[in-house]
Amino acid sequence: MQNSFLFNQSSVSLEIIGLPDYSNNEDKDQISIISQWKLNIIDKPLIEGKMEHLVPIMDAFYIYSNLLITSDIPLYESNLIDIKADNLHIHNIVLKSSKPDVEPLIIKIGNSLLSDIINCFDQLNESSKVRIKKSVFTYKIPKKVRFTLNNRVKFYNFILPPLISICSLVLFSSILFYFYYPLENEEKNELINPK
Amino acid sequence: MPNKITIWKIRNNNPLRKSFTKNNIKLEEFDALVKITVEMSKYLYPYIREILKSKEDPKNYSAIWNDFHKRFLELINERFNINSIRVKKLLNQTENDEIIIKSLLTLSLCLSNEANKKLKSFLYSF
Repeated sequence: MQNSFLFNQSSVSLEIIGLPDYSNNEDKDQISIISQWKLNIIDKPLIEGKMEHLVPIMDAFYIYSNLLITSDIPLYESNLIDIKADNLHIHNIVLKSSKPDVEPLIIKIGNSLLSDIINCFDQLNESSKVRIKKSVFTYKIPKKVRFTLNNRVKFYNFILPPLISICSLVLFSSILFYFYYPLENEEKNELINPK
Repeated sequence: MPNKITIWKIRNNNPLRKSFTKNNIKLEEFDALVKITVEMSKYLYPYIREILKSKEDPKNYSAIWNDFHKRFLELINERFNINSIRVKKLLNQTENDEIIIKSLLTLSLCLSNEANKKLKSFLYSF
């Protein structure tokens, strides 16, 4: 009675097989305990593994794709997976088995397949049906840039209240001047022409 | 973004354009442009993917890349300030491949609900 969910993007599909956590009162159509996952890329060998391998592999792809855009030498290495760029269009993936005496699996993929894989992982991350410890990789905005962009808004927020208060003070005092003028004139007239 | 004219005006903040005018783009306008770009990339993903694929396998699919590249150069010549050194770099066929592929790849990776954040992160690191 296992559940299975399929996430598709063009030439890649990611299948998640597992069970809901009934002790947590979860719906029967959810998955919290993954027993198996399969990453199927058309014309490439099937990649499959257990729950503990899924998040590290997702992180590897996320980190590598980020390096591909931001760095000149994209390279990711771990005890489970290595990804490096052969050239601008082809990426070399080496999947290392946790079992002894098993040769690593080498797959070459292009940019189109890489983006399909990332989009499948994105779908899994956003799925409400599969409740797993999702990928820990986050896209960060550099602090320096954040400051520059927010600076203008903060500056206006900072300058606007005193500016409004000064303007209202000037307006208020000008009203008082209007009331004071006749009195002053009367006093002056009295001094010039005493009765 | 109240209308298309506002988008057109904000586009002119690009210093590489012929019609460049410095308007000091606001944070909200920048966010809006990012959202529009993400929605466009979701819609255009099948085309973007085909262009990337055609560059990976030029023997079988060179026509798609050639068409795209030709149109890209036409638009740059038509709308950008071709006297600028940075625009000349975009027009240089030996140098512009990396810029085009990185740009297409960036768009193709930004399809999810969190794509706005992802695209911003990529833009800041360009």
